[in-house]
Amino acid sequence: MLATSPPTLAFGQDQAPDQAFAPRSGRLSALAIDKSFLANRVLKRVSLSLSPGEVHTLMGENGAGKSTLFRVLAGIHRPDAGTITLDAAPLDLRNPHAAQAQGIYLVPQEPALMGELSVAENMYLGMLPTHGIPARINWRSIRTSAQTALHTLGLDIDVRDDARHLSIAQQQLVECAKALLRGCRIILFDEPTSPLTSREVGFLFGIIRRLRDDGYTLGFISHRMDEVMDISDRISVLRDGAVTDEVDRTGFDRARLVSAMVGRSLSFDRKRIHRAGVGTPALTVRGLTHPTAFRAIDLDVHPGEIVGFAGLIGAGRTEIAEAICGLREKSAGTVMLNGQDITTASIPHIIEAGLVYVPEDRARHGAILPMSIRDNATAGQITRLQRGVGLLDRVREAEIAKQTIARFRVRARGPAQPMRELSGGNQQKIVFGKWMSTNPSVAILDEPTRGVDVGAKEDIYRLIEELSDAGMAIIVISSELEELIALCDRIVAIYAGRITAELRGAEITAASVGAAFLGAGSPPA
Amino acid sequence: MNRFLPREAWDRTLAIILLVLLLAFCTLIPGFYAGFGGTLAITEQFLPFGFVAIGLAVVILTGGIDLSVGAIASLSAVIMAILTKSAGLDIWLASLIALIIGAGLGWLNGIVITRLRIEPLIATLATSFIYSSVATALAGASPPYGFGKPFAVLGSGTIEGILPVQLLMFIVIAVGFSILITRTGFGRRIIMVGYNRDAAHYAGVAVPDLLRKVYGISGFMAAFAGIVLASYYDAVRPDMGNILLLTAITMVVLGGVSIFGGEGGILGVALGVLILGVLRQGMLIAGFSDMVTTMLTGGILLVSIAAKNLLSDRGFGYGALLLRLINSRKQEAAPPNT
Repeated sequence: MLATSPPTLAFGQDQAPDQAFAPRSGRLSALAIDKSFLANRVLKRVSLSLSPGEVHTLMGENGAGKSTLFRVLAGIHRPDAGTITLDAAPLDLRNPHAAQAQGIYLVPQEPALMGELSVAENMYLGMLPTHGIPARINWRSIRTSAQTALHTLGLDIDVRDDARHLSIAQQQLVECAKALLRGCRIILFDEPTSPLTSREVGFLFGIIRRLRDDGYTLGFISHRMDEVMDISDRISVLRDGAVTDEVDRTGFDRARLVSAMVGRSLSFDRKRIHRAGVGTPALTVRGLTHPTAFRAIDLDVHPGEIVGFAGLIGAGRTEIAEAICGLREKSAGTVMLNGQDITTASIPHIIEAGLVYVPEDRARHGAILPMSIRDNATAGQITRLQRGVGLLDRVREAEIAKQTIARFRVRARGPAQPMRELSGGNQQKIVFGKWMSTNPSVAILDEPTRGVDVGAKEDIYRLIEELSDAGMAIIVISSELEELIALCDRIVAIYAGRITAELRGAEITAASVGAAFLGAGSPPA
Repeated sequence: MNRFLPREAWDRTLAIILLVLLLAFCTLIPGFYAGFGGTLAITEQFLPFGFVAIGLAVVILTGGIDLSVGAIASLSAVIMAILTKSAGLDIWLASLIALIIGAGLGWLNGIVITRLRIEPLIATLATSFIYSSVATALAGASPPYGFGKPFAVLGSGTIEGILPVQLLMFIVIAVGFSILITRTGFGRRIIMVGYNRDAAHYAGVAVPDLLRKVYGISGFMAAFAGIVLASYYDAVRPDMGNILLLTAITMVVLGGVSIFGGEGGILGVALGVLILGVLRQGMLIAGFSDMVTTMLTGGILLVSIAAKNLLSDRGFGYGALLLRLINSRKQEAAPPNT
């Protein structure tokens, strides 16, 4: 990614030759919107206005209805009641295409690029311009204008490359460029920053600010308070499907926003009393090496200790964690768990031995969305639930599910509810609970609070500390500086597949961890 | 897939269709109702398809497919016949060996799929060619026939002259498999793999090992169907299993099992077997040609899947069926998220 920023964003109708309409920026309003899924009323007569030249942020806990509201505005969901207007003219947003025709574009929470298609093809998906003969697509002009669009955003991406080679941050920015190519002047970002590192967030914010200065109407969702304070011109807070507060820049106040969000006050200035690891390590890693992703990793984690993995996305943190847990190959090195060599053990064996990995990608690796909460909560210990000829102990299953729901304060109807009906944060709690209910002695948590709201985040932090107090050895992988500082006894910096620094106790400061992220102070390779 | 329909609702619908079908045939088709035992005896004509369907359903629940079931049925039956006729083995022992070989052939499918990483569709297509040519080679020009009266009990015997042995076996097997899928750890793992193979892997399911067992089960049930067919016809042919595959797949899908894996149950499959079987036999008794009944089978498959998709949007009620079919414009079914 380049950091240079061209003065203006010269996008518009000339970039979207197939579109006969003329989208414009304007005041997009939702009036008394109601939306239910089955018996679940997600939006309750919500009214909201987004103005041109403003970044308007929605805050609220997971399940408060933020994403649903944006999806209604982008034509993905049809509201059960209420109207949507653009500069006071009512709109009929039957589908996302109709919304885009009005200049409204939603950058989704998970970028929806097709991995097998090139970046240029992705950007022109659904609006391929033709040249003379209708069936003939002019690839040369598509590539040129797609490349120009990305360069204007300051992105250094080859548009001929397959989209699957892009990082999540790059994919998000390509989504943003797609909006501009379509001439959209109202852009909604659904939690774009949760998978990004702080540097990538800075880059994205630069683009958002330029769009705002050009008079775009911008909607934004984030759970990170600092970011929200930084980027927003106006903040609306949603709780249980209704707007509980709306403030402009003059009224920004953390305590006020948080109480509007959760209806209770939370402590922000938590800081862990750093403990030094003592006694025999629960987990010992020596010389762990992968053909390409990482090499010569040495690590000890003691019972009751929380060790943080700091580093950029792509530095090899997840790869190292997966290799330790038997989920990824390794070419050299040993892994010892409580004195037992598990270097080549099978995954079921490693889990039984007491080492678990809570994956970063919830939808792909963590949760099985069509299955019930109960089935998900017990999925890590099926072997232990088998009785006699292999029949599952249903009483015990129900117990585990109920305990998980209660212990993690999951908002759900009951153990039989399908996972897919839960909000992201509640799904994450169940996935977390699935592993903790197996009573591991060592747990590796990969981005444990990704896409989780403030309230749920506090819950998860509290639980991590409780587990640590009970003697569990914990590794936390995180892209959030504050999270690592608040939680960890020791922080290991990983840069380009190597451990480049180790910080303990008083060495852990925002400045030192920030530097560690970027590989500063790394020994010569 | 976003859409889903509660499995109980689909099973209930199938049960009602089966009842309506039976009532209609008994009143409308002369000769369909030939006394209680007589009508039950109709099941003997199609239950071999059902045995295959139940084994196949387990594979499809994992998101896979087994195209070699017909070939395994033929090969196992031929092996059984040769072992008893040429090698002089006791026929029940020969059958047992044939069943074990059938399971082994299925397990081999699993090896090809998991070790060589070949898509199930291609892998089992290839092995089906291999298995059926072996069957042809073994059977020779004049395949064995005439296995004696005691063995005929399997295919055409009855309990007290009323309950066909095949039907009894089908009920026992269906109940057993239903318990296997819904109540055991093995079944839970099958469903997990079917819905989300990666997540199952992360949760400690030994996926390749599970798949080998599942294809072994499918092979075993195919061999079982082959032996029942041998008993029913009192003869074997190296191509006798060829007709099994497509009808069995139809029964599984009609039974509500998603071809993408995860969704569905054995009870539904058993009902699918009975509906399709009764319908086809009823039509044949009524004098329709095989061509017409086959055409109808295709139509039923399309209608049932379309109905399932239309009904699965939100909630479920029979009264709303017609309304939804007419007003199927609202296609919104995404779950709430955040």
